[in-house]
Amino acid sequence: MAQTAMSETYDFLFKFLVIGNAGTGKSCLLHQFIEKKFKDDSNHTIGVEFGSKIINVGGKYVKLQIWDTAGQERFRSVTRSYYRGAAGALLVYDITSRETYNALTNWLTDARMLASQNIVIILCGNKKDLDADREVTFLEASRFAQENELMFLETSALTGENVEEAFMQCARKILNKIESGELDPERMGSGIQYGDAALRQLRSPRRTQAPSAQECGC
Amino acid sequence: MERAMEQLNRLTRSLRRARTVELPEDNETAVYTLMPMVMADQHRSVSELLSNSKFDVNYAFGRVKRSLLHIAANCGSVECLVLLLKKGANPNYQDISGCTPLHLAARNGQKKCMSKLLEYSADVNICNNEGLTAIHWLAVNGRTELLHDLVQHVTDVDVEDAMGQTALHVACQNGHKTTVQCLLDSGADINRPNVAGATPLYFACSHGQRDTAQILLLRGAKYLPDKNGVTPLDLCVQGGYGQTCEVLIQYHPRLFQTIVQMTQNEDLRENMLRQVLQHLSQQSESQYLKILTGLAEVATTNGHKLLSLSSSYEAQMKSLLRIVRIFCHVFRIGPSSPSNGMDMGYNGNKTPRSQVFKPLELLWHSLDEWLVLIATELMKNKEDSADITSILLKQKGQDQEASCISAFEPPGPGSYERLSTGPGESKPDVLAGKQEASADCQDVISVTANRLSAVIQAFYMCCSCQMPPGMTSPRFIEFVCKHDEVLKCFVNRNPKIIFDHFHFLLECPELMSRFMHIIKAQPFKDRCEWFYEHLHSGQPDSDMVHRPVSENDILLVHRDSIFRSSCEIVSKANCAKLKQGIAVRFHGEEGMGQGVVREWFDILSNEIVNPDYALFTQSADGTTFQPNSNSYVNPDHLNYFRFAGQILGLALNHRQLVNIYFTRSFYKHILGIPVNYQDVASIDPEYAKNLQWILDNDISDLGLELTFSVETDVFGAMEEVPLKPGGGSILVTQNNKAEYVQLVTELRMTRAIQPQINAFLQGFHMFIPPSLIQLFDEYELELLLSGMPEIDVNDWIKNTEYTSGYEREDPVIQWFWEVVEDMTQEERVLLLQFVTGSSRVPHGGFANIMGGSGLQNFTIAAVPYTPNLLPTSSTCINMLKLPEYPSKEILKDRLLVALHCGSYGYTMA
Repeated sequence: MAQTAMSETYDFLFKFLVIGNAGTGKSCLLHQFIEKKFKDDSNHTIGVEFGSKIINVGGKYVKLQIWDTAGQERFRSVTRSYYRGAAGALLVYDITSRETYNALTNWLTDARMLASQNIVIILCGNKKDLDADREVTFLEASRFAQENELMFLETSALTGENVEEAFMQCARKILNKIESGELDPERMGSGIQYGDAALRQLRSPRRTQAPSAQECGC
Repeated sequence: MERAMEQLNRLTRSLRRARTVELPEDNETAVYTLMPMVMADQHRSVSELLSNSKFDVNYAFGRVKRSLLHIAANCGSVECLVLLLKKGANPNYQDISGCTPLHLAARNGQKKCMSKLLEYSADVNICNNEGLTAIHWLAVNGRTELLHDLVQHVTDVDVEDAMGQTALHVACQNGHKTTVQCLLDSGADINRPNVAGATPLYFACSHGQRDTAQILLLRGAKYLPDKNGVTPLDLCVQGGYGQTCEVLIQYHPRLFQTIVQMTQNEDLRENMLRQVLQHLSQQSESQYLKILTGLAEVATTNGHKLLSLSSSYEAQMKSLLRIVRIFCHVFRIGPSSPSNGMDMGYNGNKTPRSQVFKPLELLWHSLDEWLVLIATELMKNKEDSADITSILLKQKGQDQEASCISAFEPPGPGSYERLSTGPGESKPDVLAGKQEASADCQDVISVTANRLSAVIQAFYMCCSCQMPPGMTSPRFIEFVCKHDEVLKCFVNRNPKIIFDHFHFLLECPELMSRFMHIIKAQPFKDRCEWFYEHLHSGQPDSDMVHRPVSENDILLVHRDSIFRSSCEIVSKANCAKLKQGIAVRFHGEEGMGQGVVREWFDILSNEIVNPDYALFTQSADGTTFQPNSNSYVNPDHLNYFRFAGQILGLALNHRQLVNIYFTRSFYKHILGIPVNYQDVASIDPEYAKNLQWILDNDISDLGLELTFSVETDVFGAMEEVPLKPGGGSILVTQNNKAEYVQLVTELRMTRAIQPQINAFLQGFHMFIPPSLIQLFDEYELELLLSGMPEIDVNDWIKNTEYTSGYEREDPVIQWFWEVVEDMTQEERVLLLQFVTGSSRVPHGGFANIMGGSGLQNFTIAAVPYTPNLLPTSSTCINMLKLPEYPSKEILKDRLLVALHCGSYGYTMA
């Protein structure tokens, strides 16, 4: 029978946001995460971009549905309309720009207010490779993260350092919350859906060849 | 003596039995003697013949090399079978395909033969060349009883054929419930995969065997995909097996979500998916709500993806619209509960059913924000460009004051560049920034317009599926009004958007009017496509179009009373069916099909204008028709007008041309466009000239003493008809003469034939909705209904006169006709229209062309040539003023330029 697989196999689907000021490298982080490449001809994002990837988190296959928002102020009302029902978010600033760091409180308020109270957020200090131009110290940012109950990593979309980890840590935290019962995937607007992998007791050979399985670092 | 006696004896026996009593010596001949007897189970004869012979009972014969035992088993000749076995026939003998007698007995369900073969220790486990065993055959045909007997002798009930298929696989595929149960009871492996990884459940699902799937699941069958990852659910959905899907979901509730997600898969056929979801939604109210909520969520995600610029516009747009179509379909059908009515959502957000639209609100919210964003950018853009202009002006002023060195540079676009390197320090920067922003804004609009328009289309579909048919949702109208400017900006930049996504316009006349000027400016061809696409959109799927016509749907008409009998039959016929297809047969004739339909339309269009019926009258120039104001002499005239409208509507619906041309004003009536005084010329050219004269001249001091009323002849008596209430006492003055002309035009052209027009339109609109026909103007409508008129060039040449120095033999005239011969049909029509003002040749040909005052032949007059001079014409005397061009090339070039600019556009590409 000449047929191709019709439905993707995963256990959960998480809706993710990438937010933060313009020029902090949000689209590059997403590109690095999905394509494993640095995007050097990046333009300002218009509106909202979309990307997805299946990762393996502690033996569970999780499909991340990632909405990469424009940082420019003029798109703010459009991008805010995408916040509802997000399960996780990468809040991005540029370590070489204090201005982008100072804006974090606003972004955070927006996300908690519009997405959901339970949204899991990881703070990403991007452009780690430009240490010489640093305007925000690691210590300062990690204190901010602690105060606001955020996870925190410094990342580099250029070298790829900590990019995968950022998405992975965020997804793992959500998964933990589901397992502990803190999050209910069945609730409307949780940003989480079940895939149908859960009922495939016997994995087809295809499964083990999935690229995400090899890339998984945990 | 004894031998002679024996021979006689044999002869007698043979004659008495009408057959030989002795087998031939050689096996080959003997076996063909025996075969028919075995087939008929004539065991006594067979026994008798075999008793004295040396025949080898295992002799294999024929193409497939079978023994007589095969024949007996195959035909169920149980006595012969036993006889052969007793004679030592091998029960396990395999023919050329590897089949034993048991295989054949099993295939044909020969129960007794099977048990006898088993008695004689036939081996049930033998595989034929395809790997099939007897139980495979029994399973294929669902012979459970036989299987029951046989299976006890089977060592491996899961024996595989060459494809790795077991008896259980084939039983499942064919949906033999009891067979499946029997096999499972006998220990068959319920999850056994074949070589492709397909399990019994997979087979049951691939053929939509609902009950079998239920049995398997009940007994704990696992839900496994094949080696390509194709799942049982995929197969169910592909085949549109709603009931089987239902069973799968019953055991694996999470598959529910998977089905909903499957709407995004473009490889799946939409109608199958729709069928499945429709079935599932009708099981219960809660299921219905769950499916719709799920679909709404998927649609929302897809809509958001579509609004991401890096996604593929084509794929996401199709995906979104497909999901929304399915959503609306399922919503409209409703659950099969008795409370199915117009309570759905229409009366606000109170009923739970309208809850299903809730997830979509996110998408509509984003859409709204996007449009607001674009409106803001547009506004900013306008302000900026105003700024730029003012700065430019200032700059220019400064420049002029400062020096005259640069003042020689031409103003206009070039000055933008100059500014950035200009003397001012701060201003150019501001300007450059603003210019960039405005370019950016252009960019945002051009990259999002298509995507947003597709989401708007989806929004419209969702809004209107909550409304009773024919009503536009107030929410949507409000939406269009709110974003009016942005939407107009979209379609101005890319009018194709109208045809691709703004289908709502065709259903909402109130919204259509906002976009009409843009629509009308689109090529005729595009509007035609849109027209037909929408005309046929409400009809069943295209694969249903070619179904055979049922005998009841054939229009049976009498040739000798074609008009009356067609009228009767069409008025009785089912309008929806006629829209789908017409089949006509003439009484007493065999012929059917497109040719007959064509002929029918041809004859009918001649009959409609047949003067005997007094329905239509000819125009003054004899080329066109319009309703006869005196048609009431025919008592049934309004019925017939309705019929004429139906025929024209039907013809248009089925792209059949009719060979009648109507007056310009009648086409306007069909379109609902007001007529004007120039249209009067078609019925009364002299009177039209008089109206023109009143308009062109000051009538104040003429003492015409006209009032807003006219005298008409009603049955020979003159009667005063007011043009408006109290018109008889209102004088026509220089100030109100335009109103007078308009009213008197309407009286002659419209009011006089209003009942006829109304009846005609009533029939016409049964097949062509008024909102759709609006896409065209009166010239295009003529083209759609009657096509491009044929023009006979020889007849034209024969009836042409020459004047002002031209002769038939002049080279210029020769060239002219050569050019006309080479023209396309459209260009000839343009030429005719250019010179005569009419696109048609009257009945009877060019000899009957009318001018302003009676017959007036087509005439070509000479004009002295000056370079670049174009030909001109005087339409009232049908005269072409053709300059004496020095060459054929120049003549052709100038003539075509004149035609394409000067005459009314037949915009056919």
